[in-house]
Amino acid sequence: MIELFRDTFRYRELIWALALKELKLRYKRSILGFLWALLNPMLLCLVLTVVFSKLMQNPKWHFPVFLLSVLLPWTFFSQSLSYAAESIVGNGDLIKKVRVAKLVFPVAAVVSNMINLLLSLIPLVVIVAVMHHPFYWTWLYLPVPIAALTLLTLGATFFFAALNVYYRDVAHILQIILQVWFYLTPIIYSLDDIHIPDRYRILFKLNPVVYALNGFRLSVYNGQLPTARSIAASFACAFLALFLGFSVFRRHQHDFVFYV
Amino acid sequence: MQDQSIAIRLENVVQRFRVIHERPDTVRELFARFTKKRVSYHDFEAVGGVSFDVGKGEIVGLIGRNGSGKSTLLKIVAGVYRPTTGKVIVNGTLAPMIELGAGMHHELTGRENILLNGLLMGYSKEVMMSREEKIIEFADLGEFIDAPVKQYSSGMYMRLAFAVATEVDPDILVVDEILAVGDFNFQEKCLHRLRSFREAGKTILFVSHSMDQIETYCDRVILLEKGKLAVDGTPAEAIKAYLGETLLDEPVLVETPSPRS
Repeated sequence: MIELFRDTFRYRELIWALALKELKLRYKRSILGFLWALLNPMLLCLVLTVVFSKLMQNPKWHFPVFLLSVLLPWTFFSQSLSYAAESIVGNGDLIKKVRVAKLVFPVAAVVSNMINLLLSLIPLVVIVAVMHHPFYWTWLYLPVPIAALTLLTLGATFFFAALNVYYRDVAHILQIILQVWFYLTPIIYSLDDIHIPDRYRILFKLNPVVYALNGFRLSVYNGQLPTARSIAASFACAFLALFLGFSVFRRHQHDFVFYV
Repeated sequence: MQDQSIAIRLENVVQRFRVIHERPDTVRELFARFTKKRVSYHDFEAVGGVSFDVGKGEIVGLIGRNGSGKSTLLKIVAGVYRPTTGKVIVNGTLAPMIELGAGMHHELTGRENILLNGLLMGYSKEVMMSREEKIIEFADLGEFIDAPVKQYSSGMYMRLAFAVATEVDPDILVVDEILAVGDFNFQEKCLHRLRSFREAGKTILFVSHSMDQIETYCDRVILLEKGKLAVDGTPAEAIKAYLGETLLDEPVLVETPSPRS
């Protein structure tokens, strides 16, 4: 664990350069360029709002704010995972020819998506303003769930990046997992609104992203802070994921070069 | 490291590759592994117990036939491979030139690639910024430096890669057969740079199939045969052993260049 933080700090310039490279490649040759980072969440929000709030009998108050406050961090989580799963294999040519710390690739994938997340807060602010949703002081609390979610995401990316080196199916299976995960996570709904039979409640309790995402919605949409228990749970999940993910990655990182 | 006159030390280095005949690349094959018999594989020893020292300021050539383990050995020294067993000690900063342009990204501009490559080799942004001008000068790219690398001619591409690898002032340079590429001008420029490296007392370990280059530049030559050290001696000795061996094994000789008389 200490090794992880030490190396991340040591290679910070390289990680930053790789993250910027990734962003640049993602938006290159598109007329709107970086604007897509802002437009994408807005368009997705528009679609989901039309589908869900118009079709539902009791639409949520200010549904776009309700939705985006969790959809944005979820997008960060799922995109980071998708990118990072390919990060070692995708940089195989490099790994085979240059001595480089392997952890920079998944970390860079998370950093580039973090930049995206921060940028996408701009359209969120715009929507909150346009809808006259109150700006709660609890916005100031956002760095806490962002930190928890980032650590959790890092842990998951290490795990999937390592696994994908050995079994290339992982990247594909991951897409399906993320789809299912999306619906099992209270993003387009909230746990208070739907009736969940008791025996399924455990499903949400065990979902590690729920706790961090909960912090986002409470502070942006409800203007509340999560309970201390929920905050503790979000960091417990984060550090557990980071510990497990990085252990797997670390144990196998020197063998990657033979399999990419 | 105790002995400061040593630049590279290999102690009984073994590199074994597991060649799996049908590697389960996919989950389907993984499942198939349970139902079918065991996966068949054999272990291939690319490098089998090699030890030698390279002193500071020495220029050592590595020769041997294809598959004798030269490139694998270079990759071990460069830190790309971690040897199966044995020990590698490298004293000082090392610039690997296993393949020119390994860290290049085609969509990025020349200038961006200089920074990214330098960072990949472990140099700081500050160092790369301070050397940027000299790199651009050596690579002789003119206005192309701010164009994406994919628009470069292969000559420009190689010049940039070579400039980045050598302008960062490494203590040790590890070169794999790269001087075989490029036009006459480029080769001259590279060789000139290698010469100035030698004059500056830097250590160079290089693989070449050009016996001319080996004889001209090396202080010492190591001949590898099937992953084992066959000869470690003067260029003349090693080249003689190499050509003798090749001649015996392959009576019809087409490619191996002969040493200058």
